[in-house]
Amino acid sequence: MNHRNNPRFFAAWTAVMSSASGLMAQTPTVPATATAEEGRWLVDFFKDPIQIGFVVGIGMVLLALYSINRALNALRETLAPETIKAPKAAPSWYSSLMKGATKATPIEREADVMLDHDYDGIKELDNSLPPWWVWGFYFTIAFSVVYLIRYHILGEPSSKKEFEIAMADAKASVEEYRKKVGDAVDETTVVLLTEAGRIASGKKIYESNCVACHAADGGGLVGPNLTDPNWIHGGGIVNVFKTIKYGVPEKGMISWKDQLSPTQMQDVASYVLTFQGTAPAAPKAPEGEVWVDAAAAEPTTDAPATDSTSTPADSLSTAAL
Amino acid sequence: MQMERFRYDNAIVRNFIVASILWGTVGFLVGLWVALELIFPQLNFELPFLTFGRLRALHTNAVIFAFVGNAMFGGIYYSLQRLLKARMASDLLSAIHFWGWQLIIVAAAITLPMGITSSKEYAELEWPIDIAIALVWVAFGVNMISTIIKRRERHLYVAIWFYIATFVTVAVLHIFNSLELPVSLFKSYSVYAGVQDALVQWWYGHNAVAFFLTTPILGLMYYFLPKAANRPVYSYRLSIIHFWALIFLYIWAGPHHLLYSALPDWAQSLGTVFSVMLIAPSWGGMINGLLTLRGAWDKVRESVVLKFFVVSVTAYGMSTFEGPMLSLKNINAIAHFTDWIPAHVHIGTLGWNGFLIFGMIYWLMPKIYRTSLFSDKMANAHFWIGTLGILFWALPMYVAGFTQSLMWKDFNPDGTLAYGNFLETVTQLIPMYALRALGGTLYIVGMVLLIINVVRTVRSGELLREEEAEAPALERAYAGHKGEHWHRWIERKPLQMTFWSLVVILIGGIIEIVPTILIKSNIPTIASVKPYTALELEGRDIYIREGCNACHSQMVRPFRSEVVRYDPVHQQYSMAGEYVYDHPHLWGSKRTGPDLHREGGKYPHSWHYNHMWDPTSMSPGSLMPRYTWLYSANGRDASLNTSLTEKKLKAMVQLGVPYTEEYIANWEEELNMQAKSIADELNKDPNIKVQPREEIVALIAYLQRLGTDIKKEPALALNQP
Repeated sequence: MNHRNNPRFFAAWTAVMSSASGLMAQTPTVPATATAEEGRWLVDFFKDPIQIGFVVGIGMVLLALYSINRALNALRETLAPETIKAPKAAPSWYSSLMKGATKATPIEREADVMLDHDYDGIKELDNSLPPWWVWGFYFTIAFSVVYLIRYHILGEPSSKKEFEIAMADAKASVEEYRKKVGDAVDETTVVLLTEAGRIASGKKIYESNCVACHAADGGGLVGPNLTDPNWIHGGGIVNVFKTIKYGVPEKGMISWKDQLSPTQMQDVASYVLTFQGTAPAAPKAPEGEVWVDAAAAEPTTDAPATDSTSTPADSLSTAAL
Repeated sequence: MQMERFRYDNAIVRNFIVASILWGTVGFLVGLWVALELIFPQLNFELPFLTFGRLRALHTNAVIFAFVGNAMFGGIYYSLQRLLKARMASDLLSAIHFWGWQLIIVAAAITLPMGITSSKEYAELEWPIDIAIALVWVAFGVNMISTIIKRRERHLYVAIWFYIATFVTVAVLHIFNSLELPVSLFKSYSVYAGVQDALVQWWYGHNAVAFFLTTPILGLMYYFLPKAANRPVYSYRLSIIHFWALIFLYIWAGPHHLLYSALPDWAQSLGTVFSVMLIAPSWGGMINGLLTLRGAWDKVRESVVLKFFVVSVTAYGMSTFEGPMLSLKNINAIAHFTDWIPAHVHIGTLGWNGFLIFGMIYWLMPKIYRTSLFSDKMANAHFWIGTLGILFWALPMYVAGFTQSLMWKDFNPDGTLAYGNFLETVTQLIPMYALRALGGTLYIVGMVLLIINVVRTVRSGELLREEEAEAPALERAYAGHKGEHWHRWIERKPLQMTFWSLVVILIGGIIEIVPTILIKSNIPTIASVKPYTALELEGRDIYIREGCNACHSQMVRPFRSEVVRYDPVHQQYSMAGEYVYDHPHLWGSKRTGPDLHREGGKYPHSWHYNHMWDPTSMSPGSLMPRYTWLYSANGRDASLNTSLTEKKLKAMVQLGVPYTEEYIANWEEELNMQAKSIADELNKDPNIKVQPREEIVALIAYLQRLGTDIKKEPALALNQP
């Protein structure tokens, strides 16, 4: 594969070659996108766990190769020492690198750098500061300067700005998804479901989210009894769907539209309506009015799409995302 | 030269070491207990003083101040005398220091389980104990500096620089973080509110780690490691630069605990960059320690003391690299509030602090008891079991932190949270919590081996209380050598050293804290945010008493995953102006349960009533313990104590909370009215019978208030600032 034509590979290299302070700009809450925008290459690169895994993986492979090489050398040393060439007069690149990076005075010549300090028998050497350490220190200082300039002079997004970007991105991608999947059930189109699969899905959702307030058998606890014909906010699929979707915050019913998808809300609303007429173990007293479906005569699968119910809850939706 | 004869005080060293072992064991056991409570919440037996929220503070205080604190004092008293060739200046001050410190620990062990707490992490103790700490700390400092002044060694060794920096910095941190207005003997309010309180708290909290768990331990390393290895310290120059850089930079790093919080961005950025710059100075200590072992690695194989030191210093290097990484915003966004942070902290405490202390004890106790260690084998077993314990502690917590964070942030493509129920992300971690408890158990098994070993060692020898020594007196006049290192000058001027350390550590704190307190624009106010009612204030004090903030944060960060989860209606993150009446702040540092800053109005009163009585009734599988003592039931009287309410309101007024005189005059009426309306609402439920003046009612009032002020300001909620 020609690496030069691989955008991911290119992004990786740009990333490594450029200032590391770009690392900071990542917002992990934003879902990964495939394209690397100008200036956000590193962000995108590190957003993808596969790519991080790739880098870590290469590191581990190198480490493993190095260890294997060391082990083989050691083996050769013990099994066939005669095949090992006498060490060259010139120091290996490794030892000169180490020497340059540490500037350590060898132990044999330790006396040269021994200071005349003696504290309860503890002596001190005057070894140089390891250059790798000094350069590392300089690097972190340079990093800090670049970081402060980027965020406070060049206008790299602040935490709050990052949030706005993430929210806008999320909104766009959710809208796009809903368009694509057609998961656009809302109170104007919702219908009561009867197929076993969807009811089972509704049951699962009910059991993980609703039993705390409405009891597993719908008999009601903190929340009202769902088995009787009385409804506080109206019965029937449309009203139940709406109550689930927007909640009734003042009464403690939370809005579920950000935790459940429209289809999921439809499933659970349909499941809730299967409680009608059942006999729970500890029923809560009826609350609200007995609800009569204006379109009761019609088949349930053809729910009233134009059911005129109150819409105060809609005002809430504008406040949300 | 005239030799002077004098004696080292070994008894005080022995006392501190024994205290460290005893309290350490207690602190570890409490730690294990709270770890088990996160698997079996019923282990609180419905007793307030055995409940996680209260015991967690006991655990942290015990291991930091009692285990590490006592060991550090023991190590300092041992090394200081020998490095200065002088006995401690005052036996009386030594005794006051020792017994005062033990009394403080006893006071902590009694008050924290009783729920007497200021709620500020690692500074939970109430104001009378704070004053006692300050006095005992001064006794320690005066004793140390007087000893330094009458020394027989011209220059101060690097270990002592660290001891001096520890003394001055902890004094400054403790005093400024503990400024609080007493309401009664056991109750006070922080003078700072909200964002400012959080900043001061984490300036303190981070530097408690830096100057209580790091600098003194580095000092101990610089004495005990070269002694045990019998090797010269690798680089004097490195000691100088890493010492000054470390103490200067450390003090700035506190805001990294508050990334993505309501703290102003400029302060957050300073926290990040100063943490990053800390890598090299921290590693300076590590490499100076490890390279001192150059040419002595064969000894490491044989000496269990050196083994402990090597793992300790390596753990120091790991956690001081990890810390700066966690200070980067993108990593912090994943790690903060999760179990990753306890994992990071425990690499430092179990590894760096614990292992250095164990090595020191194994080296020092035989010395002062004139004998040899009872069993090297047993100490080796301790080393391996302890190392395994650290791994079992930390690795599952890294996994837990990652797992939970990814679950929190996971969205379905349709925009809903993949794990909308917070509890799902908690129950997922229980196997990891169990492994962590196993790790803790192993670490304690190691500690038991240490106790047996030390007891047998002590029995085989006899304490040399007074150790004879001799050294020439210092001559009055001294001129430096020609060509000596410039730093030698300050090493022979202890008061200048103390002064300059103080100056260096004050700079960062002043630059970060003063503007945050003085400049109004750093905390934009919000008109709809009002003070708590008397009932809510009492409820808040119950929240503090029970340590709810040990598991629940009150800081919705500006992340999509957090606003959708915690504030689904308004989708508004927490803002600085919401906390202006919060004395102290209750942001928390760990989310074992969900954030509560937008809790108000989310559930009906009865949900909270049932939930606090038995969390599993509302959230099956919940790890939260039952709080049945907040209810007048089963013959228990849980009446709300309002004897201090008026004083509390007045104290708040003194701190700048705008209660009107009229309100303070009528507080009781208002309180009764609000309590009655909540109780009436609750009593509508046929299964509930509650009196308005029960503690649970006050707590519900507080919980239902949280985050509601902001919702009254629709314009603000819609316009993201």
